[in-house]
Amino acid sequence: MTPTTLANVDLVSYLPLGLIITMAVGFAVANVVLTLIIGPKREGKTKGIAYESGMNPVGTARKRFNVRFYLIAMVFLVFDVEVVFLYPWAATFPNIAPGSPDGLMWLIRILFFLFTTVIAYIYGYRKGVFKFD
Amino acid sequence: MLMHSAVQNAAEAVVGGAVSAADAARAFALPEVTEGPWWVALIPFLPLLGAALCGLCAAFKVKSKLPAWITVALLATSFAITVAMFQQLSGGASISHAFRWIEFRWGPEADQIFTANFSFYADNLSILWMLFVTGLATLIALYASEYMSHEVGTGYCRFFAAFCLFVFSMSCLVLGDNLILLFLGWEGVGLCSYLLIGYYYKKPSAVAAAKKAFIMNRIGDLGLLMGIFLTFVHFGTVEYRELFALAEPYVLALQQGRIGDIPAIVNLIPVLLAIGAFGKSAQFPLYVWLPDAMEGPTPVSALIHAATMVTAGVYLIARTYPLFLASDIALPLVAWVGAITALLAATIGMAQFDIKRIMAYSTVSQLGFMFCGLAVLTTAGGVFHVLTHAFFKATLFLACGAVMHGFAGQLDLRKLSGVMFMPGWLIVGLAMLVGCLNLAGFPFTAGYFSKDLILAEAFITPTMAPIGWILLFTAGLTAYYTFRVFFRVFVGPKEFHPGDDAHGEAETDVEEHSEQVEQGNPQAEAVGEKAHDVGDEAHGADEAEDHEHGHGHFHPHPPGWAINTVLATLALASILAAGLYFIGDKGWVDGMLQSSTAQQVYLTQEGTRASGYALVTAEPAAKGTFLGFDPHKAMYYVSAVVGLIGIGVAFVLHYLGRTEAATSRADKLLPAMGPIATWAQDKWRVDELYDMVIVKPLRVISHIFHVIDKLIVDGLVNLFGVLPRMIGSALRPVQSGQLQGYAVGMAVGLAFVLLVVVLMAVAGAGVAS
Amino acid sequence: MSEKLAILWPEIILFLGTCVVMILGLSPRIEARKACAAVAAIAIVLAGIVGSLAPSGGSALLPELMNYSKGLIAIIGLLLLLLATGTVDRAEERAIAAGQRTFDPLRATRGEFYAFFLFSLTGLMLCASADDLIWLFLALELTSLPTYVMVAISTRGTRSQEAGVKYFFLGALGAAIFLYGFALLYGGTGTTNLTEMHAYFAANGLNPIATAGLVISIVGIGFKIAAVPMHFYTADVYQGAAASVSAFLAFVPKTAGFLAILAIVAAPGWAYGTSGESLPPELRVTLWVIAALTMTVGNTLALMQTSIKRILAYSSIAHTGYMLVGVIAGPGDGSFTQNGVAAVLFYLLTYGVLNLGAFAIVACLEHDRGDTTEPDEADHIDDLKGLCRTKPVMGWVIVISSLGLLGLPPLLGFFGKVPLFTSGIAAGEIALVLVLAINSAIAAFYYLRLVNAALLSDPDPKGETLRETPLPLRRVAAVVATGGVIVLTIAAGGLMTAAEQAGTYAPMTHDEAERYLEAAGRASQAAELPEAP
Repeated sequence: MTPTTLANVDLVSYLPLGLIITMAVGFAVANVVLTLIIGPKREGKTKGIAYESGMNPVGTARKRFNVRFYLIAMVFLVFDVEVVFLYPWAATFPNIAPGSPDGLMWLIRILFFLFTTVIAYIYGYRKGVFKFD
Repeated sequence: MLMHSAVQNAAEAVVGGAVSAADAARAFALPEVTEGPWWVALIPFLPLLGAALCGLCAAFKVKSKLPAWITVALLATSFAITVAMFQQLSGGASISHAFRWIEFRWGPEADQIFTANFSFYADNLSILWMLFVTGLATLIALYASEYMSHEVGTGYCRFFAAFCLFVFSMSCLVLGDNLILLFLGWEGVGLCSYLLIGYYYKKPSAVAAAKKAFIMNRIGDLGLLMGIFLTFVHFGTVEYRELFALAEPYVLALQQGRIGDIPAIVNLIPVLLAIGAFGKSAQFPLYVWLPDAMEGPTPVSALIHAATMVTAGVYLIARTYPLFLASDIALPLVAWVGAITALLAATIGMAQFDIKRIMAYSTVSQLGFMFCGLAVLTTAGGVFHVLTHAFFKATLFLACGAVMHGFAGQLDLRKLSGVMFMPGWLIVGLAMLVGCLNLAGFPFTAGYFSKDLILAEAFITPTMAPIGWILLFTAGLTAYYTFRVFFRVFVGPKEFHPGDDAHGEAETDVEEHSEQVEQGNPQAEAVGEKAHDVGDEAHGADEAEDHEHGHGHFHPHPPGWAINTVLATLALASILAAGLYFIGDKGWVDGMLQSSTAQQVYLTQEGTRASGYALVTAEPAAKGTFLGFDPHKAMYYVSAVVGLIGIGVAFVLHYLGRTEAATSRADKLLPAMGPIATWAQDKWRVDELYDMVIVKPLRVISHIFHVIDKLIVDGLVNLFGVLPRMIGSALRPVQSGQLQGYAVGMAVGLAFVLLVVVLMAVAGAGVAS
Repeated sequence: MSEKLAILWPEIILFLGTCVVMILGLSPRIEARKACAAVAAIAIVLAGIVGSLAPSGGSALLPELMNYSKGLIAIIGLLLLLLATGTVDRAEERAIAAGQRTFDPLRATRGEFYAFFLFSLTGLMLCASADDLIWLFLALELTSLPTYVMVAISTRGTRSQEAGVKYFFLGALGAAIFLYGFALLYGGTGTTNLTEMHAYFAANGLNPIATAGLVISIVGIGFKIAAVPMHFYTADVYQGAAASVSAFLAFVPKTAGFLAILAIVAAPGWAYGTSGESLPPELRVTLWVIAALTMTVGNTLALMQTSIKRILAYSSIAHTGYMLVGVIAGPGDGSFTQNGVAAVLFYLLTYGVLNLGAFAIVACLEHDRGDTTEPDEADHIDDLKGLCRTKPVMGWVIVISSLGLLGLPPLLGFFGKVPLFTSGIAAGEIALVLVLAINSAIAAFYYLRLVNAALLSDPDPKGETLRETPLPLRRVAAVVATGGVIVLTIAAGGLMTAAEQAGTYAPMTHDEAERYLEAAGRASQAAELPEAP
């Protein structure tokens, strides 16, 4: 693959990027709007304060808070890292000559990787990470 | 065939000389070695399985005769396999490889490897041995199933586990294709012998006897072990098939009278091996353990201490016969030791009163005969005697055991008389008679033929005539003491005093007695009336039983079907064994052995002259004679007469005119003999001599060493012990449990190592520049 | 890259087992939870079979190492698994069975425990097939990271947690050190591939950066094998963890460390230099000093302990020192008696079996403190008193294991130690062999103390609460390990041959190395590397 430089491209090359940005923004906006429309609404004092994830924004920082924060964070990390690993794979995949048996191997590899993520997800689910009571 | 070329070359260089390798005459024919069938391995491993199963029975606390039946079944299968192997074997030798055991490469060369595998060497010699080992073991296990019946429970399992283990070890000893496996079996049988002698481990005398047997055997084992070491050092192998090929040039050298060509180490190896054999086969001066070993249960005495294990020494010599033939001192040594043992044990046997002990001494004595047989170059005679002896001595022991079993442990010949004619004892008596006739060398019994072979060859072999005379005299003594037992215990007036179960076989006898009575055995009771009360007081268990039945007396209980069957079979086998002498040219055994490595070897005239001692020559002129007659023919008559005289003397002294069990005409002769009789009864005080010459000085030395040990050695050791402790306490504070401390320690350690390396580099650079 | 897949099946099998175990352990059904150990066992057995039958691969320098190691790992791993039964969640499961509590996945650690167990073994097997520094680093860390957690969750007490934290921080420090070493090695040679590195060393010799890299790597990996100066954590961690986990720690990271050290030392090689017969002197001295200190420190500190686990921890340090003698000796002429690499590999097997038997005794004996709490392990040496009489099986387990660790003939430990001596002598390391001999004698003091307590002392009157664990599999592990001490001596010949083969070392000559580098397109690159001032 020859390196791409700004000199010899026109703006059409940026079309996919624009598409992705549009999709991302659209997805986020749609979600917020949808929540507004279909989600239940409960007003309350705690909910009204600025930092609303259940923490009191004022007071000592050295207090214990729910361990689920970490669990959620870990689960988030799992998916986050997964995406990071997907990029190089996606970037390399087109390099494989069409019809080469390597293609299947590459596909199996990433599927195996995704499988591990699924296992992590199932593990988290059964451990009760996604349960809020 | 893997050859140790270096050693081989060295051997040929030594022997070479006049004879080049190409036209070298063969000293003896090396058997063709083929690969044997795998199932030969089952012969030892089935008994091992039996031992494991019996152990399991003990673990599960089996309270039946199951272990006995397992043992009998597996041993019988083992015997059947041996027979199958015997059928398949034709002349040569076969090696069945079971699994790799020890293979130790000690140098880069291809032949610098120490190999000792679990492989089984089946040739006529080893299979012959296995035939009677497994066959007798099966029969004796059957006998023991009844004999040990009062021990049913853990003790029963323990007995049969050890019994199976013994057969396994013996099979390894006999079938192993190398000296290491033989040694494994050798130690294994020693262990089993120890376990079984000490079977009644609550009895101090049994424990002492077991210990004695073990320690005496250690002395012999040391010899054997050193012999094996030297064998490896000199020949570079311990595997028979290679060993025999490597030993052959030396045998040839001796044959041709080139004694100077035989290095001292080759002379030494068979002597050391012979010492091992003396220990295991209870030869002078290491024989004293065997009579004491009679503390074990009688089937054990019959199997291990009469028929099989004690012949391991004979087997060792026969197996490594080529090594013995390569030495001009080993076989004469064996001959003299054998002859002295035979005579000594026979004289002791004449003066004993415990019938089992008499049989033990007779075993020692007969083993002496076998050693002489090997030493006067009639391997066939020696091995044939082993075979016949195995059968008739087992018969004798088992008959004695039946008596002991029936009379509550009574073994004193002064307290039993006329047993044969008591009801139910006829088979035992007849078996005993057969055994005695064999042992005494009564004409046309198997023992007669095998003994004659040895005697005749002793006279034929030059310089061995004195051995022949000693053995001939001993044969007479043997006939006397054998029939002394028979005439006193089995015939004559009926009389008995039951023992006090000194052999630890009491408890459950009670039930069996009562069964006998309930079955209605009026004759037994009638006989019982005559019994004296002497033994009864000490016999609390019987008193209880007596009380129950309202009698005041002890009732002997005759043996049941198992014992009788076995006795009859063995007696029959003893008789039929005589037939083997007439098979083939020079007897069946000879035919067998001529195709193994234990064959007779013929020397040239030079060889005979040069070695002074030696081997049978091809020229008739050089053969020795018996007072001018052909020894073989003369012996038929002479030994028969000697035997009959012995029996006759016993008849006159111990049967004629004897009215009670305790005394006989022989007693009147005792005063005339002076102290000799007492000394013989005290076994020539050999035990006391050993005690005085060896044990006491050793004890004194041990006290001295104890003091040295305490003061000097312990002091050193303690010093050595204190030093590490000091280092330890210096280091200890570092292990504070503090995380930071540990991390600093790791960092400092890394820095230290790097410093060392940097200093090295600097120093290296300094040197370089 | 795909060709690597052929040798990775054991690891893949273990990993799949891990996935299954992790999920199963959280099942609300007790039967499913109980199946965890069985699944783990099946995975280990399959991995062992596949691993020993796989085509040989891994490092080109030690071409035969992999299959032997994987078989060994599977065998000992299986025994460790037996011993690990009931380490976690015992009280919890009892409470659930009694109906006092319902299953709460957040409280259960069974699935995680077995999953980490398998993860660690996966890492260990990866170590055996490593031929690259990055691979090696990842494998080492995959071996170690799960053990930190295993230590922390092995008992409910705070001691375990303390031990786990300590182990984690020090482990991170150790990993940092050897990673630094790896980085220097890359800097010094321009490659992370060990074969290529070997070719570079054979062609161009060592440079100071690479030397520093080697030394620092080895010291850092010393943490895994508990060698001085990285040994500090050993006693505290082993004591804090449950005995079954301590047994795991004494075998798994140690084996990983030795495999890594062998791989790294093989790069400059035992045939380094123009004379072609020895290690680079800096490396030799480093290893020599570490070996001598490790043995001595381990043995002397063990003398004064009263806790069995601490004794065994220090003895484990000492054994590391013994094995380093084999590393220094190197492959010699390849025959078993002279091949130090084979000696190390064989010793790992013997040590694995013996050590397991010794730790099993602590895992199998416990003080009954009533039903409410988990029973304490009987860790004090007085607990062993008169054991041969009161609990003969356990008594003989500790007696035979101790005597075996001591190296008493004819037990397995003896057969393990002999080649260390002979290979050391063959390599000319007489002084070090002497240190080894003296240390073996010192070791007798504390091993015989264990034997003495179990065999000759009268039972401790205070030991009434002492009982055998109700977990049958642990006893099976103890008895099998002890039986192995005796039975394996019979099969020692075959195992020795296997170890001898596994210790094959295939170095390159100077010319071969240059050709290799040329083929790899590195000839000029090698010349461009900065030479040391």
